[in-house]
Amino acid sequence: MDFTPLTEALSSKSYDKISDICDELMLKFAAEGIPFQDEWPYQIHLLGHIYVNDINSARFLWKSIPSAIKESQPEVAAAWRIGQRLWTRDYAGVYEAIRGFDWSQETRVLVAAFSEVYTKRMFQLLLSAYSTISIEDTARFLGMNEDDAANYVLQQGWTVDPASRMLTVKKQLIVTEQKLDSSKLQRLTEYVFHLEH
Amino acid sequence: MNIVESVVTQIQGLSSSATDIAALHTYLKQADESLHTESARLLPFLDHLDPSIHSLGYLYILDACTSGPISEEQAKTLVLIFARFITSCVAEQIRLASDKFVSVCKRFKDQVMLLKAPMQGVAAMLSAVRKLQSSSAHLTTLHPEFLQLCLLSKSYKTGLSVLEDDIFEVDQPRDLFLYCYYGGMMCIGQKRFQKALELLHNVVTAPMSSINAIAVEAYKKYILVSLIHQGQFSTSLPKYASSAAQRNLKNFCQPYIELANSYSTGKIAELETYVQTSREKFESDNNLGLVKQVLSSMYKRNIQRLTQTYLTLSLQDIANTVQLNSPKEAEMHVLQMIQDGEIYATINQKDGMVRFLEDPEQYKTCEMIKHIDSSIQRMMELSKKLTTMDELMSCDPLYLAKAGRERQRFDFDDFDTVPQKFNI
Repeated sequence: MDFTPLTEALSSKSYDKISDICDELMLKFAAEGIPFQDEWPYQIHLLGHIYVNDINSARFLWKSIPSAIKESQPEVAAAWRIGQRLWTRDYAGVYEAIRGFDWSQETRVLVAAFSEVYTKRMFQLLLSAYSTISIEDTARFLGMNEDDAANYVLQQGWTVDPASRMLTVKKQLIVTEQKLDSSKLQRLTEYVFHLEH
Repeated sequence: MNIVESVVTQIQGLSSSATDIAALHTYLKQADESLHTESARLLPFLDHLDPSIHSLGYLYILDACTSGPISEEQAKTLVLIFARFITSCVAEQIRLASDKFVSVCKRFKDQVMLLKAPMQGVAAMLSAVRKLQSSSAHLTTLHPEFLQLCLLSKSYKTGLSVLEDDIFEVDQPRDLFLYCYYGGMMCIGQKRFQKALELLHNVVTAPMSSINAIAVEAYKKYILVSLIHQGQFSTSLPKYASSAAQRNLKNFCQPYIELANSYSTGKIAELETYVQTSREKFESDNNLGLVKQVLSSMYKRNIQRLTQTYLTLSLQDIANTVQLNSPKEAEMHVLQMIQDGEIYATINQKDGMVRFLEDPEQYKTCEMIKHIDSSIQRMMELSKKLTTMDELMSCDPLYLAKAGRERQRFDFDDFDTVPQKFNI
């Protein structure tokens, strides 16, 4: 079995490509009749899906794993535990699942990369969903202790009310480029032409 | 020289130019019968041929030597030969004998299923689909086979690739029914409910002279997905649906219609009781998972309804009205819905309040304009296609003869509704 595309993606930190590469390789090996299951890096494959937030695919992959492998390879089960928490929207549980396992050398980088992305995603979620939120909850969503979490969000311009231990969210203004070019005008002409004929 | 050997020599000699291949095809058609009688000893001869050069000849021999019954032991080697042939053969050559190619591919699928290794067939079947279709708008009879393999091997993501094509050309009605049904299941698995709804809708509204099992199963899922995605379900099918579907579908799906009725009351407890009592029916239809999603979508629906009435509401009030146990639970539901873009709101934990907002989209960003643009373009394409089809049909002698005959039966007043073109 030739895993070159996968190892290349891992070493170049192109983590978002891992799920596609794994899917493709798996189908290729299957078509060639290679009994790949025993040596397949299921944990990497699962985490690849999880990294790009494709929990549906992670779940289907988990379902297709032979039960012998699920039992004999604790890391595969541990990778799915993260997916499971995401599936049930147990926001804080994701961090527990990440920290609750001693990841092997090659998996550790991927888990760490996901953890970072996930914290960012959670921060964006808090930003869009809350106007005020307790320090305690913020810490849980960001997977940090309360001091670190407070520092993290204060740097983003949030303010804290020490008495109630509540944070006030500062919305970020999203600047989008608004530029129109002449091709738009051309296209509008085409539309009118189409409608009149 | 023996017949098989001479066939092989012919194949080797006549596989380079297009004229050669045409000649080879005529020759192979004649030899086909004798190949079939020799089927038992054909397998070793495949080694003398290269599937990527002698595709047409390879196809004929492969077809002949797999036409008999195949044991499980033989299947193990055969699937590899099938897969290698399908992935490496030349599209132009195999399209000359598309019927044979289809039957070889179907046999391949049967073997993979016999070995209980559907994943082994996915990649080859996808390339078979791509090779057989004349354009991406062409639905081949292998499409449903491919989707079924994807479903069975849980390779849902791979299956989505063929569902993105717009289909305008269909060989057999059954292909379309199965394609849309399997495609619908695929999209449900990936939680792309909008697309799933579209595909299932195509099944239930497709022309059919009598009701079929695929349409019935599709209708069940259609009801459930409508509830999950749109929060409502209307039992009336559009006018263009066949009368067979209009009349019969509902009768076959009674438990589902009742589920929809119960859903429309908005009372979660009532719905739960109903699901509990009809659990077995849903389970035997393999729809229990979807039914559970219907159940949990009701909380969302009820929260969404609140946004239409209130500007701000306390978490406690939300919990009370949608029957959740605690304000914290209500907060988590609201948060999930914000995350999924299903409502626009901000939660104020300090006061325990939720403020509902308007959709922030103002339809003036470049991105949105691009999106609208592409929709308009697609619509224009579609309308052009419709015009061409309309013109084709209005020139069709069969249609004109029928339209002319039926006109006699109309009153004089109705003549105006018959377009000028149809005057013969």
